[in-house]
Amino acid sequence: MMEWLNTPAGQATAKLIGINVAFVVVLLIVAYTVLAERRVLAFIQGRLGPNRVGPGGVLQPFADLLKFILKEEIAPDKATKFVYFLAPIIAITAALMPIIVYPFGPTMNLPFLGPVALVIARFDIALLYVLGITSVGVYGIMLAGWSSNSKYSLMGGLRASAQMISYELSLGLSLVGVVLLSGTLDLYEIVEQQSGWYGTKWNIFRGFQIIGFVVYLISAIAETNRVPFDLPEAETELVAGFHTEYSALKFALFFMAEYVNMFTVSVLATTLFLGGYNVPGLSLLFEPGSFLFGLFSVLGFFAKVIFFLFFYIWLRGTLPRFRFDQLMNFGWKFLLPVAILNVVLTATALYLFPGLLR
Amino acid sequence: MDFDFATLLFILFGGMAVGCAVSMVVQRNALYSAVSLVGVFIALGSLYLLLSSPFIAAVQVIVYAGAIMVLVVFVIMLLNVEEEARRPLRLIYLIPVAIGLAAVLIGQAAFILTLGGASSVNPRTTNKVVGLTSSVGTGLFTEYLLPFEITSVLILMALVGAITLARRATVARPESPADFPRRGEGLALVAESAGASGGGGVIQPGRTDATGQEVARQQIERNENSDE
Repeated sequence: MMEWLNTPAGQATAKLIGINVAFVVVLLIVAYTVLAERRVLAFIQGRLGPNRVGPGGVLQPFADLLKFILKEEIAPDKATKFVYFLAPIIAITAALMPIIVYPFGPTMNLPFLGPVALVIARFDIALLYVLGITSVGVYGIMLAGWSSNSKYSLMGGLRASAQMISYELSLGLSLVGVVLLSGTLDLYEIVEQQSGWYGTKWNIFRGFQIIGFVVYLISAIAETNRVPFDLPEAETELVAGFHTEYSALKFALFFMAEYVNMFTVSVLATTLFLGGYNVPGLSLLFEPGSFLFGLFSVLGFFAKVIFFLFFYIWLRGTLPRFRFDQLMNFGWKFLLPVAILNVVLTATALYLFPGLLR
Repeated sequence: MDFDFATLLFILFGGMAVGCAVSMVVQRNALYSAVSLVGVFIALGSLYLLLSSPFIAAVQVIVYAGAIMVLVVFVIMLLNVEEEARRPLRLIYLIPVAIGLAAVLIGQAAFILTLGGASSVNPRTTNKVVGLTSSVGTGLFTEYLLPFEITSVLILMALVGAITLARRATVARPESPADFPRRGEGLALVAESAGASGGGGVIQPGRTDATGQEVARQQIERNENSDE
């Protein structure tokens, strides 16, 4: 068993199993984020929300999925068919691909397997990989808007692409500070560097990274087209924006892609700024590397991610939508200069006091 | 030639690159061409990964597929470019030239592969550090600093030039006929006779309708074309 695991075929099989487990976990969390969003929004607005399917509505995501699958597939007559069907595939593929680099947990002793690092793939460019894949994901939205052959869809697609390429800049620049401090793009390594010292080594507390964190959080909302930056699907203006003409499972794919993207930006915020799977003081209770230590680290990781998901839902229940010119002015004239300032400050501080921050 | 997994991937992504490139040239629809080009860039990025240059691969995808082509697709969508109608071939003599050039290219590739012999250096197995993020960064900021900075200045010049060309020239909006530059005399502020609507014929600044009528009347009098 152990010898077979070290052969290339065994490694590949292990990775494949890991990928499938991660997919199931992430998609389950995404499904329940949708339910949580509906329940939390209902609570904020003084309603009840879906609570009929299963106790408290816990089976609602599966009922929704069944409904999406059973609905009739409709495509507009004048749509460019090939691109029309390709767009949701691009969107969901690009949303799911970054999962392989998430550091879910530390190296832990699994029963029968021995020490295993809870990350599917570690490589030199993990952060760039995530940013690159998400930037390719814009095509799903753009092509959906174009191929539907509808004015609302086209406007939604144009807005989405303009917004996403504008906020991608401040999003990327806000992460440069962390990369400068860590000296690596490997997400697992970045998390490992933040371990110990009861959470004071988390990147948010190092240097000026609180600036980077705030800029990242705001840009991430715009990247995922969420309220208050949800102009691509502003229902009072554009019906539903780029996915107006999509129905049944194709719509479900866009919907899932949006929530998986939310999960991705929450994971990046957790990993880069809030210490990833590091839980302050956990090493006092359990021996690092043991099974229980790993288990609680993973739980800590998901708790932080779920906090960010809740934060996005909370914002949606609280803030009104921006106007498009306000959105562009805010992105280019405020967020981008602040992100550049963060890079300059961090680089200067690292040059002057290299020992203090490392 | 040993046939391993990497060779299989090379054939897959190389085929994807060539297929997308052909599709880009053949497509009549500008948007299809753009999307095919995105496919080419992603396939090229994957090929860089096979050559163990992960940083170059990431930059290829982020810069070309994620930024430049997004702008291209954006412009195509914004202008809503119509599908190009099939034109009669005017430059028909280019077809044999193209075939000849393709033959030369294939000949060169065959020459390199057979007569020259494949290079003994396999970038997949040797020199693992060349394409890593740190080695690219160190190279850019130490050994190749001058070319790097000169390239940045060049790009900055292109940027400034584009903004200068695109910037609208500031033209003062004409408020009264006196603002119109005229050959020699300029327009009289006080019209001689009673106009159609102005009453006394005196044009008040800011009253654009009266100004327009006065300008038109004087132009008709002088028999000149309005758009010069």
